[in-house]
Formats: sequence, C-alpha cells, structure tokens
Amino acid sequence: MPNIDPILISDLTLDYGGGDLVLDGLSLAVPAGSITALLGGNGAGKSTTLAALLGFARPRSGAITVCGIDPVMDPDLARRRMAYLPENVALYEHLTAMENAEYLLALSGERVPVAGIEDALAAAALQKRAWHQRLGGFSKGMRQKVAIAVALLREVPVLLLDEPTSGLDPRATADFNQLLIEVRARGAAVLMVTHDLLSAADIADRIAFLEAGRVAYEVAASGAERFDVRGLHARFQLTAERLAA
Amino acid sequence: MNLWAHEFRLLMRQRLPMAALALLTILTVASLALGIAEVSRQRDAISAIPAAQSQDIAAVADYIDSTKDAGSAAYYSYHPTWDSPSPLAFAALGMRDVSPYILRVRALGLEAQIYDGDTFNPELALTGHLDFAFVLVFLAPLFVIALFHDIVSGEREAGRQRMLEALPHGGTALWQRRGALRLILLWAGLALPFVVAAGLEGVSVGPILAIGALIAAYLLFWVGLAALVSRFRRSSVANAAILAAAWLLLVLVLPTLANVAINATVPVHQGAEIALAHREEVNRAWDIPREDTMRRFYAHHPEWSGSAPLGPDFHYKWYLAFHQNGDESVAPQVHAYRAGLESREAAARTVGILLPSVGAQMLLTQMANTDLSAQLRYQDRIRAFHKRLRTFYYGYLFNDLPFGRKDFDRVPEFDSRT
Repeated sequence: MPNIDPILISDLTLDYGGGDLVLDGLSLAVPAGSITALLGGNGAGKSTTLAALLGFARPRSGAITVCGIDPVMDPDLARRRMAYLPENVALYEHLTAMENAEYLLALSGERVPVAGIEDALAAAALQKRAWHQRLGGFSKGMRQKVAIAVALLREVPVLLLDEPTSGLDPRATADFNQLLIEVRARGAAVLMVTHDLLSAADIADRIAFLEAGRVAYEVAASGAERFDVRGLHARFQLTAERLAA
Repeated sequence: MNLWAHEFRLLMRQRLPMAALALLTILTVASLALGIAEVSRQRDAISAIPAAQSQDIAAVADYIDSTKDAGSAAYYSYHPTWDSPSPLAFAALGMRDVSPYILRVRALGLEAQIYDGDTFNPELALTGHLDFAFVLVFLAPLFVIALFHDIVSGEREAGRQRMLEALPHGGTALWQRRGALRLILLWAGLALPFVVAAGLEGVSVGPILAIGALIAAYLLFWVGLAALVSRFRRSSVANAAILAAAWLLLVLVLPTLANVAINATVPVHQGAEIALAHREEVNRAWDIPREDTMRRFYAHHPEWSGSAPLGPDFHYKWYLAFHQNGDESVAPQVHAYRAGLESREAAARTVGILLPSVGAQMLLTQMANTDLSAQLRYQDRIRAFHKRLRTFYYGYLFNDLPFGRKDFDRVPEFDSRT
C-alpha cells in the first residue's frame, strides 16, 4: 500500500450553490506526524476546508481524502480517523469533565476504562480537582483540555483544529501548543486553522496561506529560527489587505 | 455504558426535559385518578339504584294497593334505566361527562322524558373533566414540543452541533437516538400509569395494547411534525413558536372550525325542541274529544281496541293513550334528530382522519364506549325497556284488571345489556 498523506487535498473546488467558488483549486497535503497551520483572511476558505474534510460540504471537483478515505463518499468511516476541535469547544455543562469525555468517546465508538480517561485528562494537563466537576465554571482552555484528552484517547491519525488558541491567554496557549506537540509525536497529522501567526510559527511544521479558496503561499519550517515571522507577518497582512480590497 | 445509557444520563441532568416529563406523568396520574373517581361515583350511583327503587315503590305501593288502580301505578311509579360505564370509561369520559347515565322513566310519553335531559349541564360542559383523553389529545403535544423543539437547534446554538456531527456516532444517528429516547419516555409517562389504572379497572389486554399503540401513533405524529420543522434550521425559539402555532391550529382552531362547518352542513334541532313538541301535543289532547284520541291510538295499536269504551270519568288508559300518541306524533322529528346526530358523527369521523387530535379523541371515546353512538345505544335500550313497560301496564289498563302490591313484583326490569 503506498504511503499516502493522512490529509490529501488535490485541486478541490467547492461552492455552496450560489455559483461563487469558496474553494478554487485548493491543494494541500498534511503528512503524518506533522502540524500544518492554515492561515488566511475571513472568507478565504479555511473553515470550508475543514468542512470538506469532515464530509459536511460536497466538492464540485477535485479530490479529498482522509487516510485514503473520501469523506464525501464515506463520511462515517472518515470521521473514525479524525478528531475535530471547533473554535469554541462547547461541551455539556451539566456533565463533569469525566462524563463529557465518556460521552464523546462513546459517540466515537470507543470504550475506554475510567483509569484511561483519567490518564488522558492528566496528559492534557487538566487539574485533577476539575475531573469530577461539572463544566459550568470551566474556562475555554479547560474545555479544550477535555476535548484534546478525548482526541488523545481516540488515537486518531488526523486532528482538525479550528482557531484553537483564539481567546486563550499566553499560558493557556503555551499549554495547548505543548499538547499538540505530544499529539504530533504520536504520529498524528494536525491541520490547524488559525489567525494566530505567532502560535502557528511556534508550533507548525508548515504554514499555508489561503487566499480566494486556494493556497497562495506555503512555507515549511527550517533552521533554528523555523520561520521568518516578520516576513510571514508582512505577507499575511498583504493577503488580508488584498482580500479586503 | 452504551450510547443509550449515556443519552439517558444526559437527559436526566437537564432540568427542563425532566421537569416536563415529571409534569406529564403527574398530569397523567391525576387525570387517571379523576377518571377512576368519576366512574366509581357513577358505578356507586348505579349500584344504589335497587335500594332506592325499592323505597320508591314501597312509598306508592300502599296507596296503589288500596285503589287497585293500574293507571295510578303507571303514573306514580318510576322505573330506573342506567348505562353502566365500560371498564375503559375512566380513560375517556366522553358523553358520560354531560349526558345522563341514569334515567328514571314512567310509562307515560317517553320522548319528553328522554329529551328533557338532553340539554347538557352547562357548568360541566364549560369546564369538562380532566380525563386521560384530554391529557393525551390536548396536553401531550405540548410536552412533545417542549422536548423536541431544540434537539438539533439547541446543539447548534450551544456550538456543539458540528463537533457532535463530526463524531462517528454523531449526526443523524445521534438525533434519532435522542428523539427515540425522548419519545419512549413520553410514551412511558402516558402509557405506564394508564396500564396500571387499566389493570385496576379490569380492562382486558386487547384494549390496553390498542391504547398503547394509539398513544405511540399520536406522539409519533407530533414528533414527525417537530422533525419536519427542525429541517428548516431555524432557532429553537422559532421552532417552538412554529410548533405552538401548529398545536393551536391542529388541536383547537381546526377542530372548532370543523365542528362549526359540520353543524352548519348538518343542521339538527335540539332535543329540547322534541320534548317541547311532545309536551304541546300531550297538552293539546286535553282540549280535543277523548274519542278522537282513542280512535287515533287504536288505529296504531289495534291489539288494545277491544277495551271497554271510556266512561264519563277520568281513565288512565285515555291519559296514557294520548301520551303515546304524543310520542308517535314526534317520531319523525326524533328520527330526523337521530339521523342528524349520526350524520354529524360520521362527518366528525372523516375529520378525524385528517386531524389526528379529533381522530385520537374519537378512537378513545369509541373504545371506552362513551361516544355519541354509545349514548344513542343507551337510548335504544331505554326505548326497548319503555315499550315493555307500556305493554305491561296496558295489559292491566285496557283489560280493566286490578293492580295490587304483588303486581309490582311483575313489573319489567331494565337490563343494561340489551
């Protein structure tokens, strides 16, 4: 079997029925054990890319696969190989962190013993005293930790993140990035949609700029400095201005 | 823990759905208890009839025995008829709520006696009874709306929908599982108390299963409507408003309009008008020659024509003859009234096919034997009994036989089954 990338998008076009293409020839590959950050202005097609990977949006043409599975043809099978964290991880406030994790795992078709969930919550750096608390008073960062613990337990090869660090304080962002590094170390392919260039530069192996539904610029980390953040910032600003115009 | 258990735990932690389910169960239990109490009251009243009847007869027997007058016996003695509630009557009181289930009749003109009680008790008709049929038909849809209006939209508004749908057992299967669980709990809230009550009332298995299926079908209709509305992807508030409007339309407005339309299409005179016409006919008999009355009576009942001619004094056979003439004079109106009622019921059945609320109500009262047909069948039994009663007293009157205390033992008795 050929060694194909867990996330593979090729010349994808997609519209929502109005005729205007939201994705227009998008091509992107995310290898196993890597993090790709997808940046772009509003309306560039970032969230639509995630929707297409999750099987929520039907492409007009092109190819899209998750671990070799077409999410449009077989969304259930594809979703077994993916974990998705939305921008605002909204879990059930009347369930505890443990119960939320149990529930999401059950919906994922996973049976994990309590000890396993506790290990995952600990690995996600959620304080032990919060494990059996209802989520009513949890911060966004704490909710994300519960969700990431579920993703860790599912051991899926693909992790999709939508603006994971927006609204997080620097400490929480650093904690979250550390978790992502652990996920990557387990061999997962991580695709992270974000506006946070600094965080992306910190953690991503590759940064792709999306513009008008296609990758306008893509750069891989290299050297000790990894990315030319100043240059990327200028490029990102330019892209945003072009989009605004 | 399987997915159903997880969903159950999730539901158990939510205040609104649990409060709604608890309230529905309480209302169901209350309605069943009230229905059983009402039916029990009716049964008690019916079971008290023999003792009361013995007292009534004893009160007139001395006088009758002293006069030996069969006419006085016919005039002064009342004879009870009754419509025993079926085992299922507690669930749907139907016509028993407002129409008489006990009628004491004399051997005089019957139609006035029947239709004097035809006017519904306005106080009862205004408020009605809280019975199981009311809870199912009118209130249960509101609980379906409370539990189903936000199954999907609530998750969308909470920001969880996409995350849930991205899970292998999320999406459509999740919504179906949640819906099925809520439907089962709603059904249980209605059906389980009903099964217990039906068991206490001695209802057989067949009707219990039929009503269990009816509850499921009626709830499914409303669940289907809620699912249809949720497809428009509106907010939870909008969904609730649309479903509440649908409830108003399907449960209150359209049945009322259908009732108005049926009443306009099938005009029926009030039963009280028959009673009035009968009374006028009877009163007119006092102003016409008695021979005219007897001639008319014998023309219709030649079996009594061999009776001795009337003398100058008052004779009850003349009195009872003009009462019977009165019955026969209003017979076409009685027939038209009944035909009209039956036509209205047939039209209502047709409406019931289109409007589930009407259909469910009609099915329940039909199974409980408390619908209009049951009321008309009771009238048939009264008429058959009254015929036997008349024939019994006529035997004495038209043959000038004395009527003593012992003869009361031979008076026909009402059989509620025939």
